[in-house]
Amino acid sequence: MKKLIFFILFSSLITSIALARSTGCKEGNCENGYGKWIYTDKTTYEGEWVATKKHGQGTETWPNGYIYKGEFKESQWNGIGILFFPDGSTYEGEWANGFMNGKGTFTWSDGKQKTGIWKNGSFQE
Amino acid sequence: MEVSKNSFKTLSEPVKQFGGLISIIILIFLTFFILNNIFGEGDELVAKMKIEEERIAQERKLNKLISSLPSGVLVSFDGTDNFKLSDELYEAVCKATKLIPQRAIMGANFLNFRAHEIYTINGNKIDETFVKWDDEKNKCFAGFVVSGNNVGVDETVKVSGEALSFLSTGIDTRVYFIKNF
Repeated sequence: MKKLIFFILFSSLITSIALARSTGCKEGNCENGYGKWIYTDKTTYEGEWVATKKHGQGTETWPNGYIYKGEFKESQWNGIGILFFPDGSTYEGEWANGFMNGKGTFTWSDGKQKTGIWKNGSFQE
Repeated sequence: MEVSKNSFKTLSEPVKQFGGLISIIILIFLTFFILNNIFGEGDELVAKMKIEEERIAQERKLNKLISSLPSGVLVSFDGTDNFKLSDELYEAVCKATKLIPQRAIMGANFLNFRAHEIYTINGNKIDETFVKWDDEKNKCFAGFVVSGNNVGVDETVKVSGEALSFLSTGIDTRVYFIKNF
């Protein structure tokens, strides 16, 4: 019984250490400079960092297939960028506070397009 | 009374035994009838048990199917390197899936700013999630409901869309992409 408890505790410890080692800053400088950060849910960010925040050009890849390539400000999607949806749809244009804000083009996976002004993720007719 | 006692005594032994047997059988039937009325639910209980048995059988079938799927992303559309679900598998995976992880919710919120606001203000709290197979459209729909106080106003927002990809962990499946645009 004692051996079993020890085995469970030891396995938990090893797993925790392995998980801790696979997340965080994996390459480069994630404080000020260029680096790659891996989050616990396997989301990755590779790009420029300023004062430990995502700032400048970078690429954020979500495990479920969303990929954002473009400008970041204070860790948010801000500026010009392109978001790839998991089904192949894209939005290319201006971003503010993590949302489609400004001029941009949404392209559906079947090729249909909508270009114009977007506000907080909604197309302004 | 005395007359009936005497007439009983005059009966032959086999007739007496047969009468006793019939009495015992009636007593047993009566006892079960009374007990069934007190504790039994009759046809209703049998119907409930059948539904439960069917549900368990269906769940076992789905669990067997899920364990046979490859681990990783499963999609219902072309154009990716991920495992492409056949129409039959897509329906089965949809029916077996209950979980919607945070990134799928955040992705759907890109196209619904109000939902995003309530979700963020309330510490990423989700009231309800659902994954449903639509027999008429032959499609899988998934979504979630967020509610809370947004700048002094109580709001409830339901976000729903087509579930186009799933994550198979080997133990369960999760909705990975809700297309709500």
